[in-house]
Amino acid sequence: MNKQKLILGNGPCAGAVAENLLTTGNKIVIVTTDGTIGLDEFTDSEALQILTETRLISCKGSIGNFTIEAIQNNKPISIDAGRIVIAEKDQRTSNFSLYGLKAASNAITLSQMKNVLNDSSREKSVLSGVKKVVFLTGLVKDSTPVIAKEVMLSSLLLQKDHNLQTYILTKNLKVAGDGLESLYRETKEAGTIYIKFTDAAPDIHQGGERIRIEFFDEIISKNFRLTPDITVVDETIVPSRYATDLAKIFHIERDVNGFVQADNVHRYSVLTNRKGIMVAGPSRSVLADDDQSIDAENAALAVTDLASKGTEINVEKARVHEGQCIRCLTCYRLCPYHAITLNAKVAVVPNDCERCGICAAHCPRGAVRITDLEPETISDLITIDTDMLSSKTFMPFIVAFCCSRSAAQARDLSICMGHRLPQGLKVVEVPCSGALSYDHVFAALDNNADGVMVLTCHKGNCHSEHGNIYAGQTIEHIQEMFSRIGFEKERILIQTLASNMGAEFAQIADRFEETIVKLGPSRLKKN
Amino acid sequence: MADKNVLIIGGGVAGLSAAVELANLDIRVELIEKSNFLGGHAIGYACKAINNTCVKCGACMVEEKLQSAISHPNINIWTGSQVQNISKDHGFTASIQQKPFVIDRKKCTNCGLCLDRCPIDSAILQGFSKNNHPFYAVNTEKCLYFKDQSCTICQNECPEKAIDLDKKASEQSIEADAVLIAIGFQPFNPKDKPYGYGRFKNVVTGLDLERMLKQSGRVKRPSDHMSPERMAFIQCVGSRDAKLNHLWCSKVCCGSALRMARLIKERQPNVELSFFYMDVQTFGKDFEKYYEETEKEIRMIRAIPGDIYETDGQRLKVNHADYHSHETVEEVFDLVVLSVGITPGEDIGILSRMLKTGPDEFGFFETGNKGISIPKNGVFTAGTVQGPMSIPETIAGAGSAVWRIKKYIDGLIIDD
Repeated sequence: MNKQKLILGNGPCAGAVAENLLTTGNKIVIVTTDGTIGLDEFTDSEALQILTETRLISCKGSIGNFTIEAIQNNKPISIDAGRIVIAEKDQRTSNFSLYGLKAASNAITLSQMKNVLNDSSREKSVLSGVKKVVFLTGLVKDSTPVIAKEVMLSSLLLQKDHNLQTYILTKNLKVAGDGLESLYRETKEAGTIYIKFTDAAPDIHQGGERIRIEFFDEIISKNFRLTPDITVVDETIVPSRYATDLAKIFHIERDVNGFVQADNVHRYSVLTNRKGIMVAGPSRSVLADDDQSIDAENAALAVTDLASKGTEINVEKARVHEGQCIRCLTCYRLCPYHAITLNAKVAVVPNDCERCGICAAHCPRGAVRITDLEPETISDLITIDTDMLSSKTFMPFIVAFCCSRSAAQARDLSICMGHRLPQGLKVVEVPCSGALSYDHVFAALDNNADGVMVLTCHKGNCHSEHGNIYAGQTIEHIQEMFSRIGFEKERILIQTLASNMGAEFAQIADRFEETIVKLGPSRLKKN
Repeated sequence: MADKNVLIIGGGVAGLSAAVELANLDIRVELIEKSNFLGGHAIGYACKAINNTCVKCGACMVEEKLQSAISHPNINIWTGSQVQNISKDHGFTASIQQKPFVIDRKKCTNCGLCLDRCPIDSAILQGFSKNNHPFYAVNTEKCLYFKDQSCTICQNECPEKAIDLDKKASEQSIEADAVLIAIGFQPFNPKDKPYGYGRFKNVVTGLDLERMLKQSGRVKRPSDHMSPERMAFIQCVGSRDAKLNHLWCSKVCCGSALRMARLIKERQPNVELSFFYMDVQTFGKDFEKYYEETEKEIRMIRAIPGDIYETDGQRLKVNHADYHSHETVEEVFDLVVLSVGITPGEDIGILSRMLKTGPDEFGFFETGNKGISIPKNGVFTAGTVQGPMSIPETIAGAGSAVWRIKKYIDGLIIDD
């Protein structure tokens, strides 16, 4: 039960995760590709194992029971772990090229300037004779509060301790971080000159001995030229190459910038699509130092929390029927939780499975069955009110397949808010819209539905990552088939909703009812 | 079996998130909320997805936390309640005063008849979530019965007999091993700014607009319920303001306002939108792409208007300095939204006296750094009581506080 926890990384965030776990009685193993790790306080602890110069190759198993293969000094090793926390450092790319500059003794990166300011011997040599320093930040690509803070702090030190004149050239100054507005005022009082650009950008020339920066000042309406002794360019913080490798090894979804966590609100703050694998700090986002320690605590909490929830108990949620399975690997490919194992038999790992139903809906052989989500069970739920069939005026029977996490909640809110929903609306809750198969839609039409609505989460908000996209593909295909055989494709609608969209639920249902009233009863309706 | 107790003051995003995490660790939670409904300010926020795509505002997460909290057996919820006093011996003892629970939680079916029949504006309040149950509450400050006992319409007409206007306030004492302060923020009150808030009907706050969009999905002019033709957002109202000594950026307003602006543009494409700002703050991981689209749809003006006057048809004259010509430009809008900042919660003073700890220089709760506050005494803080933060940051901060509370009640952090 109390298996060791694996922490990946050797930066401050990884250290904080380790410290939090060690002080609460966990056994941990820290793995880093680097040669050292700064955790002196605990190095004597028996609960701590450190593997330096170790690179992960693969990971098998599931929550509570991971087996990791790695290479340490060219030798393969194996590591067992119950939980994994990824807390690898990020890295920086310089923005020289964005400003048309090349690295030079008078054109340096923000990190280089920070290093100079941290090293009194270099400080003297680099800054001697320097009178003007220009910082270029967020002029082409938007910056972040983390970078803005470093720019302002460096500028403040130069201005105060070195009596230099500093200029910060930026578009939007990113002060949405703790204490940054105060810091901004402090730098201004210390003499830093801010030049903010709205539509235009400065012309930067590196030709001669000095860098020339020419611009039109929006406030004073005049042309200016700056010839700084040193020009400092900002940097973009990106995930490390190794962190992105880890995402592949662990089958973790990444965000638009490549960080090791899907950009999905349901993963806040340190969760991933893999149960038992957390991601903290610089591996998941660009975060300030304080936010990194908060992440470390959340990771420690998630490690502890999951253990107390009894996830170790195996409750079967889905079953692959051996006789029907042809090992086409559709389920393996689509499972957002990586819960399918491919041993002698294809099987669903109960502890990893979240019962979204995507595998069952997409298995071409119908070999996967989800408990309580079998097509027959769903079909039983779709029953038309007999009064409606005998009604003289046409009252459309509408089946709405609703994701239980979003649209079904929105329906309830809609009722609370006092909206009248169409009388013939029948809501069938599904754990995820990805659980929807062709069979479900056809079952609805076969059971006298005049129209079928599929209401999913918004893109990027699906708990099962892509369930809503799969539902969209299924519905699009059905609509296309309907068009071909001359059946009104307008009878099928797919829309996205969030749980807090009560008003919108009512509007969608009303509009759809209107459409169906115009179309009249379905030709597939049995009287 | 849960044998440790944590008192959480405040049932907004931070309080709810922390309650759920603590309850999952098998720690009992007493969750005290001053207002009638759980969820804080954020439960009134609208989903701002556009193009069928989530924009990560986090509003739906509040809903999710609320749902988990109300159904958790380890969480005991006290709405309409306030802490009167807290003392500490070995553990904490707090006396809690609860407003009269006029509408019976068990009997009410949320039919809304009380609201329909009530003759007084806002004497029956409505919740924001299906997880606000009952969905209605009697506002004792407006209700005629609480004034002079002259009206009992809701009580008489309630089909479930769920309303009892004679219910009395109650006071109870609870014990706790630790206290978490999560009383949130107070939106800046813009009535003293020269923007006519409170006097001109068509000047609203960002929070008003959030609730309007959640309520009906569309923007309307409060004066005539028509769709506005020209609409403006003014940023940094009460934030980044040296005159007020508000030397902080409220962090969330650029994201909230621009996301709402784009939602409006998608649903009511004829609305012309202008956005007055100082510096646009980054929000969301794909900000760059999002902002590129934003600039195509919304006129961005780098200026903060000086003042607003009302003109014909309750339209609004807005004066601002044009950054190209440097001249004062007057423009007329149908609706102006003030992006009011995050300011310290109103009960900070009382609570800090009770707990013998002071607010910081700006009036937010004293914290060593984010998430950390005087843990040696068993008092913790989370959420916007510490200063401006987004919904995701609040959820993370609540997790951090829970982790510290757990260490404290496990004896890993020791009292002085």
